[in-house]
Amino acid sequence: MEKKNEVSRRRFLQVAGATGVVLAGSAFPFRNLTPAWAFGDHPQEQVPYRITKRVPQVCARACEADCAYTIVVGVDPATGVERAITLEGRPEDPVSNGKFCIKGMGFVDSLYDPDRLMVSLKRTNPKKGTDEDPGWVTMKTEDAVHEVIEKLKTYKPEEILMASPGDPYTNRLAQSIGCTRADQRTECFGTHYYLNCLTLTNPPNKFYSSCYTPSHHVCGYDYDNSKYQIWFGFDSFSKCGKAGMLNHWAAGKKNGCRIVMFNPVRTPMTDGYASEHYAIKPGTDLAVALAMINVILKAGKYNADFIHKYSDAPVLVDEKAKAALKADDGRFLAWCTKHKKAEPVDECDAPALDGGPFKVSVAGKEISTKPVMQLLKETTKAYTPEWATKISEVPAKDIRRIALEFAAAAPYSMVPTYKRDAAGPNYANSWRLRHAINILNTLSGSIDHEGGILLLHDVKMPWIDEIAPPVAPYPEQPAKPVDFRNEFPVTDNIYRKRDFSAPGHYGMVGWGLYKTNRAKAVFFRNPHRGLFSMIQSQMLEKSTEKLELVVDWNLYLDDLGYFCDYVLPAPHQFEEGKMDLRLYYPKYPCIVGGSPVQKTPGDQIGWGGLAAKIGLALAPKYWTTDGSGDPAKKIPTNIGDVAVKKAGIAENAAEFMKNGGFWIDKKPYQNYRTIEEIGYGRPHGRVRMYIDEFAEVDHSPLPIWAPRWHETSGDFKFSMLVTRAPWHMHADPNFINNPVLKEVTIRNHMDTVWMNPKVAAKLGLKEGDKVILENDPRYMKDLPRPQKATLHLTKRVAREDCVLLFHGIGHRAKNLKVAANFGYRDGDLIPQKDPFMSKKHDPTGMGWVEDVFVSIKKIA
Amino acid sequence: MKEYAILLDDTYCTGCNSCAYRCIQEFRYHDQAAKGLFRTFVQINDDGLYQKRCMHCIDPDCVANCPVKALTKSEYGPVLYDVQKCIGCQTCVRMCKFHVPQFDEVARKIVKCSMCAHRINENKPPACVEVCPTGALQFGEYQEMLDRAKKLAAKNNLKIYGMNENGGTHVIVLAKADPVSFGYPKVPVKDITKSVSMGENFTVPTAIAAVAIGGFKKFSERRTRVETEEKDKLSKK
Repeated sequence: MEKKNEVSRRRFLQVAGATGVVLAGSAFPFRNLTPAWAFGDHPQEQVPYRITKRVPQVCARACEADCAYTIVVGVDPATGVERAITLEGRPEDPVSNGKFCIKGMGFVDSLYDPDRLMVSLKRTNPKKGTDEDPGWVTMKTEDAVHEVIEKLKTYKPEEILMASPGDPYTNRLAQSIGCTRADQRTECFGTHYYLNCLTLTNPPNKFYSSCYTPSHHVCGYDYDNSKYQIWFGFDSFSKCGKAGMLNHWAAGKKNGCRIVMFNPVRTPMTDGYASEHYAIKPGTDLAVALAMINVILKAGKYNADFIHKYSDAPVLVDEKAKAALKADDGRFLAWCTKHKKAEPVDECDAPALDGGPFKVSVAGKEISTKPVMQLLKETTKAYTPEWATKISEVPAKDIRRIALEFAAAAPYSMVPTYKRDAAGPNYANSWRLRHAINILNTLSGSIDHEGGILLLHDVKMPWIDEIAPPVAPYPEQPAKPVDFRNEFPVTDNIYRKRDFSAPGHYGMVGWGLYKTNRAKAVFFRNPHRGLFSMIQSQMLEKSTEKLELVVDWNLYLDDLGYFCDYVLPAPHQFEEGKMDLRLYYPKYPCIVGGSPVQKTPGDQIGWGGLAAKIGLALAPKYWTTDGSGDPAKKIPTNIGDVAVKKAGIAENAAEFMKNGGFWIDKKPYQNYRTIEEIGYGRPHGRVRMYIDEFAEVDHSPLPIWAPRWHETSGDFKFSMLVTRAPWHMHADPNFINNPVLKEVTIRNHMDTVWMNPKVAAKLGLKEGDKVILENDPRYMKDLPRPQKATLHLTKRVAREDCVLLFHGIGHRAKNLKVAANFGYRDGDLIPQKDPFMSKKHDPTGMGWVEDVFVSIKKIA
Repeated sequence: MKEYAILLDDTYCTGCNSCAYRCIQEFRYHDQAAKGLFRTFVQINDDGLYQKRCMHCIDPDCVANCPVKALTKSEYGPVLYDVQKCIGCQTCVRMCKFHVPQFDEVARKIVKCSMCAHRINENKPPACVEVCPTGALQFGEYQEMLDRAKKLAAKNNLKIYGMNENGGTHVIVLAKADPVSFGYPKVPVKDITKSVSMGENFTVPTAIAAVAIGGFKKFSERRTRVETEEKDKLSKK
């Protein structure tokens, strides 16, 4: 054997020579690198599909960023059929910067979801519920719409509820009929929206446009250029998937921005983007924010130039009436330290920021006044960092240091806040936190400044009323609406008189439907949230037993459909044209458009057309140009045409799209220009810190500390935190009925309840245990529905006093083959709000989604 | 030809899995992905994000051991897979130290990233890199990516994974902590990067020298044997 392996001299020289020749002819000598294929010949080097066209589109309904992108259409190699394949970015879009996210791509595949609703459905079984067979019969949509309209005609306006966000068509419809519009989608924006209205945007203003885009704001955040940010629960799991924001956060990180995060949960955003992270006690962020105001004021480290020129800090307040002092012409008054008298703030060359009381004579009557800044100092005097530590468990020295670092970085320092963070819909005191945040941003002067809060400017998308003014005043809205808006005068005034698109009370409309008989017909404009958009949907479900007509217009038959009498099919968002402002990042005036990628494959009806049909039938006066009701004289609704023509960029939307559907004016951002145009005290507009309207409803006009509404008791000791998987939005079947996204969810344990391992060990709970979560019956008095779930133990829940639930998993609609009966439902554990209780805690009525403590027990 | 690599800066990743979905749409393998067979996937673990994907080893065990040469190492970086040649033996599944190739029981084939070789062919970055919203995934020439990783690691006190693991890979991971602590497999380290890096350092003379040394050894053994035999003959005489 040994002999066989030996090499003779001759043989060695032969082999060595031959090998040398072979190797010399090859530049690729390594054993495993033998080029089996010439470059470009390997099957994996072949393009897997052939692209046939690219269609510009704009994202919607997946998050507030609304990225612009292009849909790539190609020939599917598996079927040979042309279809939308994927997306490509539009680098010129200031929001997305050429990026898009997993949800945007999910929309591509949901175009072909076999569970899409193609026809109209009419119930034959009067018994409603997800466990009942509705006995659907299919109808032509035209016939179904006709039947729905004929039934709607039989109700008084106050008996009809339009459950829809305030888009231009819905607004016209609800206003022309005179019925209530309660918002099913944007209540999570409500706290932000109303506090922004009351401090900053002061609607109506010359730029405000649609509720479709970020949080009803006219502002965005300049993360790219900011130097210091404080996030109060802003780093949720849902944020981890928002491409239109992520690209800006990454840019800010590269530019050296410091970010301090307060969150009881440690997310991947925290891991990657936080300079510091504090596992704050849930619901106590307000204490930290107040302490920061206290520190900045005590140290005198506020942006003096900004607060003098662009805020109400020097404005005098009547101490007794708790209202800002105004001249007869409406201008704010300040105390002039030089002339020792009250003067219009804009004309006062030495306004007092502190001191007082100053005696001012108004209509022959002497009143005692103090500047807003002085009142702010007095209000926050007791809120020291040491005080905040006791509440929040954040060290006092850190609060003090962070406040001063924040002030030192001004005006490139800000507190961003959107939607479902601690200043969003989470707690009954979230409105106070939102108020405190706006004050922090005022003290830093970051509002309407590069590197801070950017305001939409120099571009507008018109409302229908601007291109087709109503021929007569609209009928009065119902005095006693089913969502109890009237119990909240501060927000009701904005909704009725200043901005009809303002968020409604979806967190108490279920309570109103269940507890009262105010509504008899409900029309859901529901792409595509179903019952999951509601908290404690069991109230709505129960109420449908007595409701006479329930209609849903939807892309899918979802779980809400099982409680409806009619379900009308809606187009996919990629089957509609779009025109969008870049509200999320409004640094430059910009308009982007989207074109339909295909015709609707079934008997779908678009919302604009459907709203016009209903409007023409129920309120013809307001849907015709001359009020005649003649369908030939239907009002114009071509918002996009008007927008592009007014911007001087195209004759109409078609021409705009033909030219690529994108326009931007990249002029430098003019700091503090827009706040003058839209703020309070116009013509020289200012940010308002002192909100008179709150005093009128017995709440503090400046933020004060308030604990959470719920309290722990006995086993109900776990604060229920709610977030979303980065690839979900509510239980939108576009995503939740996608089998790939379901697998991504499962593999990341986002179909489970997350708990800190230490507390689990104390309770004897283990990974994978089946548990039941229950509410404290003191707070969930009606229709409790405990949730069964699987437990996941993770250090990402950084505290032992809370658990993390994922919103928008699972679905009860049995026809949704992938989503049906998946996961649990967090909303069932969040009580609908009793409006009379709610208004004691929150004048906006928008908060308390997470004001819930639950018990967790292992299922035997 | 240029040699390419992907750099994953884990400190920018948020676990959004846009990379995973873009990959699925690029290669139209939705059905496989729905069964958990991903070519790339981000697992959100307690201490960090584990992005499971083919590391495109410089000296891949899967290629060395594939009995039908369905797996080949391209000179520009990607380990390529020829589904037609694959007999479903799963040798690669067993041999891969990174536990990457997954076996599709229905198709009797494996599922593995190709680094979007077809896109490289068109001068485009891999689909996952293009979509990554934060730029956590980057793509470029191997040496440039490696240099960037080293520079960032030094500047931000980061760990590098993929430089020496299994002799180096064409996917390089940067992370705050040791990636093994949050899911990446612990793989033997071999410092062969320099010696096997294709094109520049590994030359024809080196190969000839290797063959020559081997040959001389065998030649030497023969000489020893002949000498021994002659000695034996002499002693018998």
